[in-house]
Amino acid sequence: MPDPLWALAIGAGLALLLAGLFWPERGLWPRWRRTRELTERVLTEDALKHIHKWEMKGRRPTVESLAGALQVPRDRVAQLLANMEQLGLLTSQGGDLHLTAAGRDAALHIIRAHRLWERYLADQTGYDEADWHGQAERLEHTLPPAEVDALAARLGHPTHDPHGDPIPDSAGRFVAHGGQPLTALPPDTPAQIVHIEDEPEVVYAQLVAEGLYPGMAVRLIELTPQRVRFWANGDEHVLAPLLAANISVVPKPAEAEGKQAVKAAPPAIPLSALRLGEQAEVVGISPRCRGPERRRFMDLGILPGTVVTAELVSPSGDPTAYRIRDALIALRKEQADLIHVAPRPAPAASPNGDRPTVGQEPRPEEAEAPSSP
Amino acid sequence: MSQTAQLTGPLSTGGPAARPSQPAVTPDQILATARSLRWQVGSDYHQALMEAIYTEAARIADRAVTRPGEKPRFDLDRTIDRLVTSRVWGFPLMILLFTLVFWITISGANIPSQLLSNLLIGVVYPWLHRLADLIGLPWWLTGLLIDGVYLSTAWVVSVMLPPMAIFFPLFTLLEDFGYLPRVAFNLDNLFKKAGAHGKQALSLMMGFGCNAAGVVSTRIIDSPRERLIAILTNNFALCNGRWPLQILIATLFLGGLVAAPWAGLIAALSVVGVAVLGVLFSFAASWALSRTVLRGQPSTFSLELPPYRPPRVLQTIYTSLIDRTIIILGRAVMFAVPAGAVIWLTANVHVGGASIAEHLVRLLDPIGLLIGLNSVILVAYIVAIPANEIVIPTILMLTVLVTGMSDVGAGAGVLFELENTEDLMRVFQASGWTLLTAVNLMLFSLLHNPCSTTIYTIYKETGSRKWAAVGALLPLAIGFVVTFLVAQVWRLVAG
Repeated sequence: MPDPLWALAIGAGLALLLAGLFWPERGLWPRWRRTRELTERVLTEDALKHIHKWEMKGRRPTVESLAGALQVPRDRVAQLLANMEQLGLLTSQGGDLHLTAAGRDAALHIIRAHRLWERYLADQTGYDEADWHGQAERLEHTLPPAEVDALAARLGHPTHDPHGDPIPDSAGRFVAHGGQPLTALPPDTPAQIVHIEDEPEVVYAQLVAEGLYPGMAVRLIELTPQRVRFWANGDEHVLAPLLAANISVVPKPAEAEGKQAVKAAPPAIPLSALRLGEQAEVVGISPRCRGPERRRFMDLGILPGTVVTAELVSPSGDPTAYRIRDALIALRKEQADLIHVAPRPAPAASPNGDRPTVGQEPRPEEAEAPSSP
Repeated sequence: MSQTAQLTGPLSTGGPAARPSQPAVTPDQILATARSLRWQVGSDYHQALMEAIYTEAARIADRAVTRPGEKPRFDLDRTIDRLVTSRVWGFPLMILLFTLVFWITISGANIPSQLLSNLLIGVVYPWLHRLADLIGLPWWLTGLLIDGVYLSTAWVVSVMLPPMAIFFPLFTLLEDFGYLPRVAFNLDNLFKKAGAHGKQALSLMMGFGCNAAGVVSTRIIDSPRERLIAILTNNFALCNGRWPLQILIATLFLGGLVAAPWAGLIAALSVVGVAVLGVLFSFAASWALSRTVLRGQPSTFSLELPPYRPPRVLQTIYTSLIDRTIIILGRAVMFAVPAGAVIWLTANVHVGGASIAEHLVRLLDPIGLLIGLNSVILVAYIVAIPANEIVIPTILMLTVLVTGMSDVGAGAGVLFELENTEDLMRVFQASGWTLLTAVNLMLFSLLHNPCSTTIYTIYKETGSRKWAAVGALLPLAIGFVVTFLVAQVWRLVAG
């Protein structure tokens, strides 16, 4: 029989070895796979993306900016640029970098693959918002054009990625979101978030943590050099101007989106804020909730106009059961957060609830029914 | 053509494609218009369209559906709901009900199990032997068919059928009444912290009856990620087939540690302790799975709390017997037949002077000792993979075979059980069992690969070999690590 101490030591050593090899992200195996992925082609494609992005922003990409974005030494970048020039992807006259037509096409293909993949992750999988960008960064290099087109078809040819960036179509055409930074918005103008910059990751993670997403209605309250105070979907947010500049907004067209404006008119609160016994009318489902979960909500009959009553709370505190169209449905708090409702006065007849709560108000029809024959 | 124009009409006010009277419109122009319109309508029109369809459906339904009677039992439902989900009574009621269900199952299954065993093994088995003698079958065919195939199948049926036939109908009655969704509702917060669905509480409890049935019952979870978690961690619920081993070992070894009046209590507590440990492992595994391999699976939570209904007793008993008991039993028998043959063959086919079983035992000896078990137990778990019910008889048979005891046992490859605890202890001590072996056997019985019926069911339910492999190897790996650690620490402390 082996000495127990030795056995334990060998066992612990083995466990450490396995962890060192396969630990997600930091293990030797994932690292080795990453360095193998970082080939010349990947670097070229990332460089194309970077130059295109800076051109779009009206800034001049440089060797330094490329070295920073690709995280490789500057002489490596110089060598890379020489190669790319030889391939006819860009021209560099006197340090000015410009994409050629072929270079722009290649860059747009990569951007299309990246944004489509983000759209896919957001709509069809359970990955967190913080994971989307990193995964798309990897996959954009592996998808051939035919597969990108198939993905676009499967997603119903989406026009925007989940951050609000336009997705170029297969011929590379797209319309920029045309928003201005939140910090440039005059106070008290109703506006809508059209884009949230997903780089750098640290900043994006903070914006996600604030619960901000494209499609949100916003209104600036106060802008000082220290902070930006604004309303977003009825909640007050305070951000540093540096962060707020990463949010792009367009002033809300009051007329074209008339229907939307009417919908947003009643003070909407999340369903989770409803207290037991209170009744509310559904205003809408947050745009952040997409894919299978959104469909599930609609299957359950959570639609604008549906009357919802909070009825039971689990003894452990979390799921709350709501009466929705005569059925008792339990929803977790994070889910109820995604449903916007307008509170209604409680039924006045009897607080005991003798009168049943009916889904939508069929009262007019009921009144009509006897008179119709 | 005109339809296209009508569709785009309201969107593009006066665009070139909106005039159907102009014949000179080429397909390219229409496509170009469509493309530019796509950017105008924005990214959410698919969803807006879908929402409009749903809203329209709801409007039509509200107008067409009348609700006569206005629910006379509405108040009763509410009263029951307030009681079973109340802060004070919710959990005690739940524990009481499930203790009752398990108590009825365990105590009620003893008698029919004994009767079945007496019939299938006490009466039919010798009768089959006489029949074989009568028609003059060669000894190896008699051994393979009757001692191997028939005996292990009969064993599985007599141990497995009665508890399932009691547990499943009871459980289905609770389900039919509408109580089980309330249990999921009460426990959801706990499961949420492990990244799982509240309904996993139900599949886990079903797993205490039978893991295969537990895996099937995860169909009630409609969220893909949470369903996979429930499937992969169901094996941590100590199933019916493993209770007898736990009770036997706990009574013999752990109960024997204390004075006689306390023996029963200690044994019972240690078995319950193992079951609770299983639930804890199930939570831990759920937590780890939801944060690693299953991170990207889509997840949608919703839990419907249906109105209470008086249970339809006869129908429930019938369907739960047909749907659950018979199907599971059928699968178990399907696997027990070849396993019986394999068990008999390993004990009777000799290679180089020793049976295959003896070779295997010698081969696995170092591993068995390292993890505080012995190689006989490991071999038993390998050949008895079809059903946990036959692990104990297989261990007994193999021990007698390897140690060459002559006064107990029924011959090479023939499963048997001993009523007499002194004989049992004698067999165990002959192969060098200690308290550590007993404790680790109880742990390994909880933490090892599920039986082949369950593995096959996981494969059927997930449609994936990968998940079936994960479901089989994950608990086995945990079992090896836990028993290894316990063995080393035990030896260090005990000197």
